[in-house]
Amino acid sequence: MGKKKKRATEKVWCYYCDREFEDEKILVQHQKAKHFKCHACHKKLSTASGMVIHVLQVHKENVTKVPNAKDGRDSTDIEIYGMQGIPPHLLAAHYGEEEEESLAKIAKVEIPSVPIGAAVPRPYGMVYQPQQVPGAVRPMYYPGASIRPPGPAWPMPPPPQQWYPHNPAVSVHPPAHLGYHPQQLFPVHGMGMTVPTSSNVANGVTPSSSPAMPVSQPLFPVVNSITPSQASVNAYPPNNSFPVGGTNPHSYASGPDTSGPSIGPPPVIANKAPTSQPNEVYLVWDDEAMSMEERRMFLPKYKVHDETSQMNSINEAIDRRISESRLAGRMAF
Amino acid sequence: MIKNMSLPPPSAGRELANPPSDGISNLRFSNTSDHLLVSSWDKRVRLYDVSTNSLKGEFLHGGAVLDCCFHDDSSGFSVGSDNKVRRIVFNVGKEDVLGMHEKPVRCVEYSYAAGQVITGSWDKTVKCWDPRGASGPERTQVGTYLQPERVYSLSLVGNRLVVATAGRHVNIYDLRNMSQPEQRRESSLKYQTRCVRSYPNGTGYALSSVEGRVAMEFFDLSEAAQAKNYGTFATGGCDGFVNIWDGNNKKRLYQYSKYPSSIAALSFSRDGQLLAVASSYTFEEGEKSHEPEAIFVRNVNEIEVKPKPKAYPNPAA
Repeated sequence: MGKKKKRATEKVWCYYCDREFEDEKILVQHQKAKHFKCHACHKKLSTASGMVIHVLQVHKENVTKVPNAKDGRDSTDIEIYGMQGIPPHLLAAHYGEEEEESLAKIAKVEIPSVPIGAAVPRPYGMVYQPQQVPGAVRPMYYPGASIRPPGPAWPMPPPPQQWYPHNPAVSVHPPAHLGYHPQQLFPVHGMGMTVPTSSNVANGVTPSSSPAMPVSQPLFPVVNSITPSQASVNAYPPNNSFPVGGTNPHSYASGPDTSGPSIGPPPVIANKAPTSQPNEVYLVWDDEAMSMEERRMFLPKYKVHDETSQMNSINEAIDRRISESRLAGRMAF
Repeated sequence: MIKNMSLPPPSAGRELANPPSDGISNLRFSNTSDHLLVSSWDKRVRLYDVSTNSLKGEFLHGGAVLDCCFHDDSSGFSVGSDNKVRRIVFNVGKEDVLGMHEKPVRCVEYSYAAGQVITGSWDKTVKCWDPRGASGPERTQVGTYLQPERVYSLSLVGNRLVVATAGRHVNIYDLRNMSQPEQRRESSLKYQTRCVRSYPNGTGYALSSVEGRVAMEFFDLSEAAQAKNYGTFATGGCDGFVNIWDGNNKKRLYQYSKYPSSIAALSFSRDGQLLAVASSYTFEEGEKSHEPEAIFVRNVNEIEVKPKPKAYPNPAA
C-alpha cells in the first residue's frame, strides 16, 4: 500500500489570491466574501460566475474580473469553489515548493531499502522515469507514494507533462467535468446534493449533461419532500446562487412560504446595507433571508398537519355565516 | 485520554431531569416561584419545579412549540408552528386555543399592564388577545398589527412593546395606543436580528444579531446619557458560552464554563439568584448530529453580575 503524501501543513488555499486557511469551510467563506461578492449590492454569491450573472441581470453591468484576485487568477471563466477546480499544475506548484526540500532528504534515507528496478507496481500503465537525483538512483520511488493512480492531481516534481495526460478526470475540459460532479464541488454534510447550475450556464457550455437541478426553479420553496438546503430556492431573479449544503445554508430565497414571490431577500433599508469591512466577519449563520428557526422548520419531521387548521377555519367561516344570518333574521322586523 | 464532551464541569449548575427530546426554543422562570416553563421542538411545553427538580406538567401541541410564557402560577401561554395561540392550565392539564395566526407564531408575551397576550408571527403580524374573553377566536382577538416583516422577537416593559422583525426592523409601540408604532427604527446592528429584550427599568432595550453582537438602545434619546442601569445582562451563543456583560462600561464581567451545546435560551429567576440555561443545538450548521438537549440551573453570584468599580489609572511609574 502506498503511503499517501502528506502535504506539509495540509492547509487549504484560495486560488484567486493565494491566501491560506485552516479548513475549507473558512476558505469558502473567504471566497464568498472577497471574490464572489457583488460590488453593487454586496450580495454574496456562491461562485464567481454566479456573481457575474447576478451583476449582469440585476445591475446591468459586465464584470470581467474576479474582485480581489491576483493577476492571472482573475478570470471569471474558471470554476472555483473552495479547493475544487484548481488546475492541477497550480496545485502542484503550490505544494511542490514545499516538497522539493523533502525530496532530497527522503531520497537519501529511503533508497537503500528499495530494490532497484523491481516490483513497484504500475497498475495503471503510467510510466515513471527514474529521477536522476545527484548521488543516487531512484527507481520509481517518489516521496510519499509509490503508486500513482490516475485521479485528482498529485503534486509531482518535474517534468509534469509525463503524467498530465493520464489524469483525464481533472481540468482538461473543466466546464463539462466540474459541472458534472456535484459531490465534489459542494461538500454537503450528509444532505442531498445540489448542483451549481451557474457553473454550466456561465461557461457558455450548454448543459448537455444536465445537472440534477434544472435552472428554473419553482417560485415557492418546496417544503414537503426535500431538505432545507434545496427547498429555499429563489428563481426570481434567477441568480443561480443556489443553496449549497447543510453547513452554510445561505440561500437567498424570498423567505419561507410566508410571502408571495418577492424579489430577493426581505427588504433591508438600503443605505444601511452591510458595507465591506476591513476585517472579514465570518458568520456562523450567514443566511440573510431566513432565521435558523425558519430554516429548521423545513425539515420533514416538523411538518404540521394542516388539515385540522384548515377545517377549523372552514368551520369558523360556516359558524360566522350562520350567526350572521340568524342576527339578520332577528333584526328584520 | 478520552475527553468526555457531554459532561459539563460541576459549576455549570444542576441539570434538570426529563429534559425535552428535541431542541429547546425558550425557557422562562415564573415571576412568583421557582417554576420553569420550557417550550420545545418536540411539540411539548413542560413545567418544571426547579427546587425539587421535578416535572410538574406537560402539554402536547400540534407542532413545534416556539415560545411560552407564564400568566400566573396556575397558567401560561404557548405558541408554535401549528399557528395556534394557546392558554395552558397547569394543575388540571387543560388547554384552550385563544386564536390563530396564518403562519407559525414565533413569540408570545403576557402584558400585566394591559391584561393581554401579545403574539408575533412569521405572518408579519403582531396580535393582541384578551384571555378573559370567552373562548373562540372572534371574541379574544383584540387587535392585529401589520409589521414590515416576519416577527423574530418581542419584548414588553411597562406599557411599551418592542417588536424586532426580519430585515432588521424594530417597531416600538405604546400598548395604550396600538394604532401605529410610537417609533419605527432600524437595528443599528448590521446583521440579522436574533433577539430583543427590554431593560427592567423601562429605559430601553438590548438587541442582538447573528454576528454575536449586542446593541443597547434607549427609548428616549435624551435620557440615554443619564440612564442609570445596573446595566448588566447575560448572553448565550452558539459557541456554548454564557457571558455576563456590563453594558455601561462595555466590558465582560464573567464567562461561565462552556456548555455541551449551543445556548438556546436563558432566564433569570425573579430574584436574580438563579439562571436557567438551555443547552440545545440551534441549527446554525443545518441538520447534523449533536449533543442531547439539557437544561442547567445555576446559582448566580453577585460578584459575577455586579459591575466592577471603575479603576482609576495609576499615576505614571
